[in-house]
Amino acid sequence: MNQCAPPRWLEGILRWCLPSQDRETISGDLLEEYRRVQWPQLGSMRANLWYTRQVLSFLAERSFAGSPLRACLTWLSVLTMSAGVWLAFMEQVLRHPGYAARAAVAGAIVAQGLATVLFLMLQAGRAFRLIVLWAAAGAIVLGASAIARILNAVHFEGFVLLIGTALMLQGTVTMLVAGRWQARARR
Amino acid sequence: MAELLGTFEQAVLLAVWKLAAEAYGRAVLRAVMTSLARETAAGAVYATLDRLEQKGLLASRMEPGTPVRAGRPRRYYRLTAAGIRALNDSKAALEQLWQGTHWPLGAKA
Repeated sequence: MNQCAPPRWLEGILRWCLPSQDRETISGDLLEEYRRVQWPQLGSMRANLWYTRQVLSFLAERSFAGSPLRACLTWLSVLTMSAGVWLAFMEQVLRHPGYAARAAVAGAIVAQGLATVLFLMLQAGRAFRLIVLWAAAGAIVLGASAIARILNAVHFEGFVLLIGTALMLQGTVTMLVAGRWQARARR
Repeated sequence: MAELLGTFEQAVLLAVWKLAAEAYGRAVLRAVMTSLARETAAGAVYATLDRLEQKGLLASRMEPGTPVRAGRPRRYYRLTAAGIRALNDSKAALEQLWQGTHWPLGAKA
């Protein structure tokens, strides 16, 4: 029984998202329950599913816990990333003229959202914070220009308005959160 | 009076109190799920334990790990004097709040 273990990569994610003082104790608690209860009762596959759920609960705690502003920023980033993926997918399907450039913009939206989520999870250093700040400024400009374009367009596109607004909001909240951290780091 | 505790914090502290010498993370999680009668995320319980320890309401000690844990230590929690006081204050505040009110409440005519 002591030989059975959850997938190493999953345990790696768990250990990565735990604070250093809890890394050994919490991963030990989960391993013990995995080996003593879950694996003997449920078998390997369902025990791994149980372990995945536990890891996700720690990931969620790390992403959404803290100030309401942080939780709001995580949700906004998830929204802009999803919108970016949807845009890129639609560009690939419809292939209107200039689709490659628009797909690249969609890719940039996904990358910006991902960088923001990673920034929140890793509580990253100064260089990464600056990149995220610049990316947030880019998101605000992109969102504003998308809104300006549809307001002047013949056909009104609600989806573009939604993405544009989400990008502007996400960029603004990112600047607030990253700016606060920057100020705290200076103290 | 100390800062009043939320329901979840009270559930975690009470679980540590009831488990006494056996209060480690997973045992606390199971006790909280039983007392609240609902599924509870492990991450939320461990984060609350950490927060309560930082507030000085809990203290912890490490015990050496066993082979089934791959030698990783186990962290046991106990209530501090401030933790016991905070629980007592929360209970007293709740009772004071309900004083003079018949329970369960019915619809007013």
